[in-house]
Amino acid sequence: MKPIGSNLVLQCVTCIALIVTQCAFSNGQPPKEIPQADDAKLKFFEARVRPILFERCYDCHGTDSDNESGLRLDSLRAILKGGRSGPAVVPGHPNRSLMILAIRHDPSLAAMPPKTKLPTQEIKTLAAWIKMGAPWPNSKVPVRSDSTGAVEVKFTAAEKSFWAFRPPQRPTVPTVQRTDWPTSPVDHFVLVMLESKGLLPASGANKRTLIRRATIDLHGVPPTPREVEEFLGDDSPNAFENLIERLLAAPRYGERWGRHWLDVARYADSNGMDDNMFYSDAWRYRDYVIAAFNNDKPYDQFVREQVAGDLLNASNDSFDRDEALIATGFLMIGPKMLAEDDPVKQRMDIVDDQIDTIGRAFLGLTLGCARCHDHKFDPIPTADYYSLAGIFKSTRIMLSYRVDSKWNTRALGSRELDERLEQLERELNELDEAVVLGNFIGKDEEKKRLTARLAAVKKEYAAIPRAMAVEDEHVEDLQVFLRGNHLARGPLAPRGFPRILTGAKQEPLSKSSSGRRELAEWLTRPDHPLTARVMVNRIWQGHFGQGLVRSPDNFGRLGQRPDNQPLLDWLAIEFVNRCWSIKSMHRLMMTSSSYRMSGAHNKRSAEVDPENRLLWRMNRRRMEAEAIRDSLLAVSGQLDDSMGGPVLNGNVFTILSATVLKDSEWFNSNRRSVYLPVFRSGLSDMFQAFDFPDPAVVNGVRSNTTIAPQALFMMNSELMDHVVQRMALRISRAAHDDLRRIESAYELAYGRFPSPEEFIEWKEHIARIRRLNAADNGGANRKVWESVCRVLLSSNEFVYIE
Amino acid sequence: MTMTQTCPNRETAVSRRELLRQMGAGFGSLALSALLADESAAETTIGPLARKSPHFRPRAKRVIMLFMFGGPAHMDSFDPKPVLTRDHGKPLPIDAPRVLSFPLRHGNLVGSPFQFKQHGNCGAWVSELFPNVAGIVDDLCIINSMHCSNSRHGGAVLEWHTGTDTFIRPSMGSWVTYGLGSANQNLPGYVTMCQSLSQGGANNFGSAFLPAAYQGTPIGSNGTPSKDARIPFIASKTPRDLQQLELQMIRHLGNRQLERSGPDSALEARIASFELAFRMQAEAPEVQDISGETKTTLSQYGLDDPGTEDFGRQCLLARRFAERGVRFVQCNSNGWDHHSDLKKSMINMSRSIDRPITALIDDLKQRGMLEDTLVIWGGEFGRTPTAENANGRDHNPHGFTMWMAGGGVKPGLVYGRTDDYGYYAVENKVHFHDLHATILHLLGFDHNKLTHRYSGRDFRLTDVHGNVVHDIFS
Repeated sequence: MKPIGSNLVLQCVTCIALIVTQCAFSNGQPPKEIPQADDAKLKFFEARVRPILFERCYDCHGTDSDNESGLRLDSLRAILKGGRSGPAVVPGHPNRSLMILAIRHDPSLAAMPPKTKLPTQEIKTLAAWIKMGAPWPNSKVPVRSDSTGAVEVKFTAAEKSFWAFRPPQRPTVPTVQRTDWPTSPVDHFVLVMLESKGLLPASGANKRTLIRRATIDLHGVPPTPREVEEFLGDDSPNAFENLIERLLAAPRYGERWGRHWLDVARYADSNGMDDNMFYSDAWRYRDYVIAAFNNDKPYDQFVREQVAGDLLNASNDSFDRDEALIATGFLMIGPKMLAEDDPVKQRMDIVDDQIDTIGRAFLGLTLGCARCHDHKFDPIPTADYYSLAGIFKSTRIMLSYRVDSKWNTRALGSRELDERLEQLERELNELDEAVVLGNFIGKDEEKKRLTARLAAVKKEYAAIPRAMAVEDEHVEDLQVFLRGNHLARGPLAPRGFPRILTGAKQEPLSKSSSGRRELAEWLTRPDHPLTARVMVNRIWQGHFGQGLVRSPDNFGRLGQRPDNQPLLDWLAIEFVNRCWSIKSMHRLMMTSSSYRMSGAHNKRSAEVDPENRLLWRMNRRRMEAEAIRDSLLAVSGQLDDSMGGPVLNGNVFTILSATVLKDSEWFNSNRRSVYLPVFRSGLSDMFQAFDFPDPAVVNGVRSNTTIAPQALFMMNSELMDHVVQRMALRISRAAHDDLRRIESAYELAYGRFPSPEEFIEWKEHIARIRRLNAADNGGANRKVWESVCRVLLSSNEFVYIE
Repeated sequence: MTMTQTCPNRETAVSRRELLRQMGAGFGSLALSALLADESAAETTIGPLARKSPHFRPRAKRVIMLFMFGGPAHMDSFDPKPVLTRDHGKPLPIDAPRVLSFPLRHGNLVGSPFQFKQHGNCGAWVSELFPNVAGIVDDLCIINSMHCSNSRHGGAVLEWHTGTDTFIRPSMGSWVTYGLGSANQNLPGYVTMCQSLSQGGANNFGSAFLPAAYQGTPIGSNGTPSKDARIPFIASKTPRDLQQLELQMIRHLGNRQLERSGPDSALEARIASFELAFRMQAEAPEVQDISGETKTTLSQYGLDDPGTEDFGRQCLLARRFAERGVRFVQCNSNGWDHHSDLKKSMINMSRSIDRPITALIDDLKQRGMLEDTLVIWGGEFGRTPTAENANGRDHNPHGFTMWMAGGGVKPGLVYGRTDDYGYYAVENKVHFHDLHATILHLLGFDHNKLTHRYSGRDFRLTDVHGNVVHDIFS
């Protein structure tokens, strides 16, 4: 073994402090005094223990050492006081003393010494010493009674006045010079910014561009040639308004905008990360979201149901019990590391997913950052994280916390059924634990019996209609987990909400329920500084390509500032005043002149505002993976419009093996992309290439990369082959001469006719293809039109929204 | 303005400027020309995979990872335990870990059924399972004190590939490609052959919040014979001359649109991506076409033997990808999870890789590539010295073996030690985080500075951990 030298000292400085538990004190009163030890024990200490401390520990944790942890081991007082993390030793309990866990190199802690483990005998000696009560000469040390009260917190004036933490004030609609441009108050806010920089808004987009833009925006597919014709033929002043009404009324709208929300909700049909179990009931949440958008469910109700649908009160809230239960799937569908032998870690990781998701999705705050330390940039103390963690720790997500544990569900239809389901779940969990862990006490017969019973239970369970849903359990406040480590408990953090938003004085939450209902109500208060702003920003982004705050999931200090805060605030207040109606916000934004601008380039504007933050023109956007796929299927006449339902039939708790994941059957359906399964860590090649986010965390903005595999998909994929064959057939049937066929292909793909120049180019191109294929008589003509379609669908004009 | 302190949550188009901004302070040298002699061709590619210089002079320019999925038993391969053999059948005399997967299956000590001998000038011990690797121990740097934090495949595999078992984060290969770009614009910068889609699946080679250009390109997956494994969408049914005409037309139409709309780098980049795809489509199959290799080479890699053909082909392809400038290549040997039938399974598995691996190292050496290619061998954890199911071993993340070769590591070194039973690493312990830091160091990066800003925070492969193991550098 290497002597402890300077190398180690250096490492100690960078190591995470020795983390120490206080669990010995958490329930009972702390011992007031350590009794004076007897001589034999003191001798043992002097002969065996002190030399180890001296030789192995004092370079970093001695009298003169200065280490990051602040821990000194040169007196019992210091040891029991501990470092930054609290006491290093729990006298009498070596297995709960983090000094012992650390020198055993328990993987959940920073190992001590960091590089080289102590010999087994020395570890045993230290453990034996703690077991005998940690005797130390001349020490009558009062053990510190750690504060179990809440941590006080003081925010600076700057923190309190940060824009996002102050409720929006309704701004007056600004007056503008160019009064003939605005058609909506939105335009006043946009134009006043442009005018202040001496810029002009781009001219209006033509009607073909507008209907394509609006249709892809709201339905995720281009308009059909007939829809274009009808819109062009409608000369009424309300033609565009009528178009928007038609689009909003169609169920395609919910599928498109529901999918945007599913990005935010990190929706997936499997847990991912390890054994990847199929979430057989997640689809109900997906369908709930689509229906919520189609029915224009008020956003405040939408939020309340997702956070606390199971706790809403039938007499006060207008709601459907089943729907509200399904809504809580929002809390259930996150990624879960189920191959985890440490139950507390598994549970707290799941709680963390919920806090992180709620923070980013509703508040635009990265609350998850405060799990291990106070948030480095936003005024979110760790204690506030654990105040929220208490709420979710008091919420039942899983049936138990072990390897391959199963999640909670609630029966739909009746409470009687729900009771039966709960019995089944209890039995399922017990049997499953025995079978999964394989810890059979007895022999093969027992294993056989249990496995058979498990199969029977699963069968009855599978037959009950159910939703992944939460319920309250064991309501309790949590102590802060020091540095995020569940073995190191700090002061108590009573359940509550982030204090920067609520002020220091909060009504204590009920002792008999988790507090999710109160959280849901607090989130949807009309004067909440963040909830409405965050959502109107998401809607704006869906129409303009960029949010008014360009970091839609982070409104904190490291997020971006709003490019037009008066507009954002005005919209947020309108949103609340219009009963949180999302459809009404679509109308408000889309009927503006701002939305109807063209994407025309302007050299001067581009110099002044290269990122188009002031919105001097419409942003050009590339379609997302789903819109590309759905549009390809639509223009080739193959898109299957059937709605909803389970994604794959099969047994409950199926483990998605590599074979299942690779089985392209799931991805070969012609249904809309929103109904394809989303298997974590097993996305289809097409989705992966086109920036479909792995649903690990809230994803308010998709990446938008341009990489070769996307081009390869267009050139070589089976889906594309199939699409161009069908589309070629379609245009060949629609017309018989080249000109008409090209026109027909343009109408389908781009919603316009080719220009005379383009037509000449096509004629030459087709002639060249015919020369190439001259030998091939039978298929030559078919190949020409397939090639034309492939080029049109591969080109930028198809995948970009102008 | 707030430009300097605000960054978008997620890039909306990977412009060079954006990339520079997100890469943070560590990348001052990015704009300078590449400093590598053999990679200093005049071509100055723009784009996410353009070659980039690391923080300091690198020892290795590329990585070949030989991943043994399942967790090979170290006490049966590179870490002999005579005391374990002596105490065979007795109960474990030291504390078992706090967290155990199968407490009731935790049996008594099992000595290795395989004989160990010392080999080479360095005298490293290798078991009889690896007669060929034993012949090249003087090229290897064997680390017997590896450890990680998770005792389950999912957690440990993710921990190795991404540095965390808790969150979905970019994989090591994507970090490397993000940092160095690629030396060949016609191929992906990071490929992985026949990797398992379970236990973290695509996350193990994904790019998470790094731009998609840095994700690993899977060539087949677990279960695909390596001779049938292909890059997705690479095989074209369209004749080449027709495809060329089509690309011409796509460019025509694209240019027309640009004339109408004014300049737009995203549109231009998309047109260029078709041309890159076209070149990749030609070059990738050429890499996988091994008909030009000599019979001797094929035989050295074991392609003439059904037992070694599959992994042998992966190793040969790894050399061919590496030669062509691919930055990070992973070969995957799936099937090292020996909860029972340890002896038989170990014989089969070791046989399937022994010759191919040896051939790869020899071949790289002969071509002068070993000195700047870092080869890494290992699985997600090792195995317990105690028996499971009578004749198997359970997972053990507390101490196990990985080895490296080439790329600036000290050849012929045996580093670190587990206890007498091989349960815990006890001397010169190297955590996955430490090895990650070390690998990045060999590639010329300070692991603290290879960062990407996402959601308001600078992320790195090693998170808040990682100590470079300087002792193993040559």
